[in-house]
Amino acid sequence: MPSISPAALRGGAAVIATALVAATGIAELQAQQQPPAWKQGQPSSMADSKLAPHASPMTVTPAEKIDVGKLKAPAGFKVELWAHGMPGARMMARGDKGTIFIGTRVIGKVYAVTDKDGKRTSKVVAEGLQQPNGIAIKNGSLYVIAIDKALRFDNIEDSLDAPKPTDISEAIKLPPSTHHNWKFAAVGPDNKLYIAIGSPCNLCEINTGMHGLIRRQNLDGSNIEIVARGVRNSVGFDWHPVTKELWFTDNGRDWAGDAGPEEELNRVANNAVGAFYGFPYCHAQGIPDPDIKKPNPCVGVTLPAATLGPHAAALGMRFYTGNMFPAAYKNTAFIARRGSWNRTKKFGYDVVQAKINGGKATITPFLTGFLDAKTDAFWGRPVDVLQMPDGALLVTDEQNGAIYRISYGGKVAAANTK
Amino acid sequence: MIDCRQCRRPRTFLLAVAAILLVLPSQTLAADPPAEKLQLCGTCHGEKGNSTMERTPSLAGQPELFLTNQLILFRERLRKSEAMEPFVKGMPDSEIVALAQHYSKLPAEPTPEPVDAGLAARGAALAKAMHCGSCHLPDLAGREQMPRLAGQRIDYMIDTLIAYREGKRYGVDTSMNGAMYGVSDQDVRALAHFAAGMR
Repeated sequence: MPSISPAALRGGAAVIATALVAATGIAELQAQQQPPAWKQGQPSSMADSKLAPHASPMTVTPAEKIDVGKLKAPAGFKVELWAHGMPGARMMARGDKGTIFIGTRVIGKVYAVTDKDGKRTSKVVAEGLQQPNGIAIKNGSLYVIAIDKALRFDNIEDSLDAPKPTDISEAIKLPPSTHHNWKFAAVGPDNKLYIAIGSPCNLCEINTGMHGLIRRQNLDGSNIEIVARGVRNSVGFDWHPVTKELWFTDNGRDWAGDAGPEEELNRVANNAVGAFYGFPYCHAQGIPDPDIKKPNPCVGVTLPAATLGPHAAALGMRFYTGNMFPAAYKNTAFIARRGSWNRTKKFGYDVVQAKINGGKATITPFLTGFLDAKTDAFWGRPVDVLQMPDGALLVTDEQNGAIYRISYGGKVAAANTK
Repeated sequence: MIDCRQCRRPRTFLLAVAAILLVLPSQTLAADPPAEKLQLCGTCHGEKGNSTMERTPSLAGQPELFLTNQLILFRERLRKSEAMEPFVKGMPDSEIVALAQHYSKLPAEPTPEPVDAGLAARGAALAKAMHCGSCHLPDLAGREQMPRLAGQRIDYMIDTLIAYREGKRYGVDTSMNGAMYGVSDQDVRALAHFAAGMR
């Protein structure tokens, strides 16, 4: 970095010195200045790219503007609008008494949707939070994990009109960073609270004990253990119904071209808790990072069970255990792909099915129609999926603040239609 | 959508069409904001959305989505402002969108504050190094959720950039906090003068 010697300043060439100071200042700033996190890693060849993340609306989309008829699922399935009027609706969790809780990002709210006599009502149970994306429910308590705060609402389903939060931030111990720090959370079959914590950048070296990981802890916050490392940014996971192994989605880096590296579907084998998944050195099915290099970058890396498409933003995922859908769906996973921004032609904007075969998976489309390939325009962005007790599948749409219900047109579905 | 299995009778069909024609314009275009509301906004932000009041931003020509988002952030107290709070408290989305549409369509006029040419020149070099134009566009006209900076008030932009730097304000994401990390007061001034002088 250039610097000006005191001798040069004493030389009295004030005008030149001033010019030098100005120029040096800018060069210095340029060197230290990080572009916004979502632009980091952008090659100079793409410096003029106009690609930028799409902002989700924070206003209510009226039901008549949600064209659910455009959505397509395989033959025999029916898609309907189940609830709406929850701007920014993202992650879902269902209480034992049937309330669906919904986390958000920018609008800072947590919604509760109740279903009475086939009519859904939504209310706000928490607001003014910094990106309360992570929600989990256990023993009647709702856990809300925001960027800077963790709250617990005991007996939440009996107090929807006057929810009482307990601040458990100190016990939960959240990292201080902001970017990629909206959390995904769920309580596992081991009764522990699992939280995904992203990397605070598009691409950077990370503190592997703090960022880019999935961790678990007791519900009182004690005994934090890292379950998966080298995870760029996971916003969805679930446990296989038979093996009880954790499976999670992970989003690949940006600015490395339209082809990827692709998003990942990963498995944490029961005997490999704490395994390393490659970020930032090795991506997808074993692609060394073009910018952050080290020898043998993919050695010791657990490669994905399947890749989930370039920039597709594969987020919420759940295994299907219901009896409503045909038997072939049992123990497969549904994965919501919110859709790309860092790609010249849009990709994703759908829900896919992952058929599991040991440690591998194959991906097939399930719910499509949010993206018009011809005009490259989207109208909806699926973020999470949730199985209902009757076996129907709920899907959140962050773009329209809505939830769709997908049922199978057999006799079970008919019994649920009035 | 008209489901024609439900409108076999021509009269019902015509009524349905008439109803849709009546409803459509109000759905695609929000109703004009009430005059008394605009007068309230205008007291500080200027009658036509071009502010002459110290440390108060111009709204004219801002992207509709940016204005909508900011009003919602004020309403939800995620962006805190004592001055704005009473006006946005409980404001319905429809009114927010109507205000945003109104101001987004008004022509932006440059701030009446004097722009320092030296600072602006330095700000131009800084803005290039800091990639401001890749979100706000090279002419700083803004787009979508990213505001117009060209011609905006200098004093307001200085306040805002420092608030981002200090983590006292967030946008719909945290990009600006990252962008302003470690930027000196002097450089903030230069950036503000540069943007204010853009046309």
